[in-house]
Amino acid sequence: MAGFSLAQAPLHTPLLLVGGSQCVVAECRLSALGLRRGARLSVLQKTAGGGRVVVVGGSRIALGPQVLEGLTADVIA
Amino acid sequence: MTEPALKQLPLLAVRPPSMKTTCHSAGAGLGAGEDAPVVALVGSPNTGKSTLFNALTGSRVTMGNWPGTTVEVSRGVWRTTRTAASCTCQECDCEPGEGRVDITLVDLPGAYSLVPDSPDEALTRELLVDAPVDERPDVSILLVDASRLSHSLYLASQVRERPLRVVLALTMLDVAAKRGVELDLSALSAAVGCPVVGIDPRRRAGLDELAAAVRDLVAEPVPQPRPHPEGITDSLAIDDERFGWVSAAVEAATLDHGSQQASLSDRVDRWATAPIVGPLLFLAVMWAVFQVTTSVAAPFQDALDGFFSGPLSAAAGALFAAVGLGGSWVEGLVVDGLIAGVGMLLTFVPLMALMFVLLALLEDSGYLARAAVVTDRLMRAIGLPGRAFLPLLVGYGCNVPAISATRILPSARQRILTSLLVPFTSCTARLTVFVMLGAAFFGPQAGTVVFAMYVASIVIIVGVGLLLRGTLWKGEVVEPLVIDLPAYQMPTVRLTASVTWVRLKGFLQTASGIIVVTVCAVWLLQSVPARGDAGFGEVAVQDSVYSVAAQAIAPVFAPAGFGTWETTSTLVVGFVAKEAVISSWAQTFAVDEPGDSASPGTLGDRVRADFTESSGGHPLPAAIAFMVFLLAYTPCVATLAAQQREIGTKWTVFGVALQLVVAWSLAVVIFQVGRLFW
Repeated sequence: MAGFSLAQAPLHTPLLLVGGSQCVVAECRLSALGLRRGARLSVLQKTAGGGRVVVVGGSRIALGPQVLEGLTADVIA
Repeated sequence: MTEPALKQLPLLAVRPPSMKTTCHSAGAGLGAGEDAPVVALVGSPNTGKSTLFNALTGSRVTMGNWPGTTVEVSRGVWRTTRTAASCTCQECDCEPGEGRVDITLVDLPGAYSLVPDSPDEALTRELLVDAPVDERPDVSILLVDASRLSHSLYLASQVRERPLRVVLALTMLDVAAKRGVELDLSALSAAVGCPVVGIDPRRRAGLDELAAAVRDLVAEPVPQPRPHPEGITDSLAIDDERFGWVSAAVEAATLDHGSQQASLSDRVDRWATAPIVGPLLFLAVMWAVFQVTTSVAAPFQDALDGFFSGPLSAAAGALFAAVGLGGSWVEGLVVDGLIAGVGMLLTFVPLMALMFVLLALLEDSGYLARAAVVTDRLMRAIGLPGRAFLPLLVGYGCNVPAISATRILPSARQRILTSLLVPFTSCTARLTVFVMLGAAFFGPQAGTVVFAMYVASIVIIVGVGLLLRGTLWKGEVVEPLVIDLPAYQMPTVRLTASVTWVRLKGFLQTASGIIVVTVCAVWLLQSVPARGDAGFGEVAVQDSVYSVAAQAIAPVFAPAGFGTWETTSTLVVGFVAKEAVISSWAQTFAVDEPGDSASPGTLGDRVRADFTESSGGHPLPAAIAFMVFLLAYTPCVATLAAQQREIGTKWTVFGVALQLVVAWSLAVVIFQVGRLFW
């Protein structure tokens, strides 16, 4: 499953995270927040600075554009 | 980050070996005694640990609805008493006070994981896990956010892998209920293998049940840790197993997953974090805070000012005359020094109280985490992550805790950079001077001028940040934005009042102590002759040691338009603490022109006359230059002490030099350019 960057993901659409962050610094933090391969999420909102707010496991997490580029997702059919 | 990488985390703060033997934060109180059980509050950031700590101990440690509020360890005594609600007797007939157990309660910094990536998380791990077995807490209360159970249980999965007595305290049940989430606490308890209690620390609900659960657990043997399937050594596979455990627990405990509709927080965030609107909203909120603060507080300030400089000073003068000390140095010290100085401080109480209420409302509501999101791009431009905004924001209250708050940042270089920028945030002590000068020079526009000083503070931070990023911090890699957004909450009266009172009391205690000492020191220096034949206490102020020393420094500030000794001396006093700037001005002018202090509002007039004289008839640019200098130079010695502790002497000295160069350069440019137009 190739998926697309989370930066290109449509808003308010159920997604499956298929690729983890390439950013070593953020990897541990993202995992602890539940943003790991296989997690179900949706993108809620575009933010100032080119980021997004994503919903995962009931949490709202703001992610910067660099993180979004490193995460790949697929739409859940 | 793997566990061996823990040792590579640079830690500048000295850390205690265990929570049973030391008190990391002296200001937060001591424990219940050596024999008392030690209970630790553990949990992800923003699950309500500090609010629970305050509710259980009666302490007032810093609280806020944003991640990273707690960066130090607080200790307090939790006095538990059996009640009908909490007693585990079959038929409770306990006498009141019977079975009382005093517990040493320890509030640990929030941690998303036991694999830390910042010093505050490392501290939590060290005290909870790495300490010798007999120095670990007897019981750990693990706070879990019910509105995002799977998120919070990740830390629980790691804690349960250790031989620790754990009670799960479920918070935010009201938020979960609003989202339609329904949980079975008994099923959750069975799934995670430890007692589970639902609590609401903000409204103090469920605390008796929590006390009962803790007391019961203290008497029990330490449970076996949650077993790992054999043969798993890969860190990713271990994480997979943990998430599997979390998913199973969530599945077992959740009766209803609730609706997926947008919550109120989501609807507010459509605007609060949006491109363009979000930053504009942030500026509007900050402007409203300062506008409301200055305009609402102004009549109260005027009334208090009139009282201290009028009837109270007159009554004190009459009293001294009645006992034969009229016109003596004692009257000068008390009336012109203590009453003028402390009275001036007290006139700012309504303003500070209002400011603290508004900031407490913003903190408790959860808005500040959104402010970190909308300022992320700006922070990244100066080489810092969005999270660095939070310590900088704390600096707008007081620079000292802001320096400590830099511990939420993972990189030592980022902590140093943030610590160098914090002194440029305009603390509330500087606010008092801005308000006084704003009213004296700009009349009804004072609120806008004060707001402009806060904007100037941001501009200076960005400018200095860009300068450092382009030089000493060149090539620094900035971690990307990852920030957990708490749900918006309706601020409670109790929490807002508590936070406001703690800050107001802290301001008054610090400021009054500083002012009394400074007033006495200034009075002493003004009484000692440096030239002429007059004796001690009889010397004209311009011939005193105080004035002569200030006169030697004053020419340095002549290019900035405020090169008189009367103003320069306040900057020297302000190096110790900005709270003392106005009082030293009041003292100088009262001594300089005795007898005029009875007319209200004259301090502003005298300062204006002083600036008019020193600036050659351009008082407005000189006043702005002075305010910018005051904004940018060293905030106070307490901040220097905090910096020395966090980033070492070398960087602290560098910071002082940087502040003085920036402050003087800006003041000179502002005055020299401004005098061409005003």
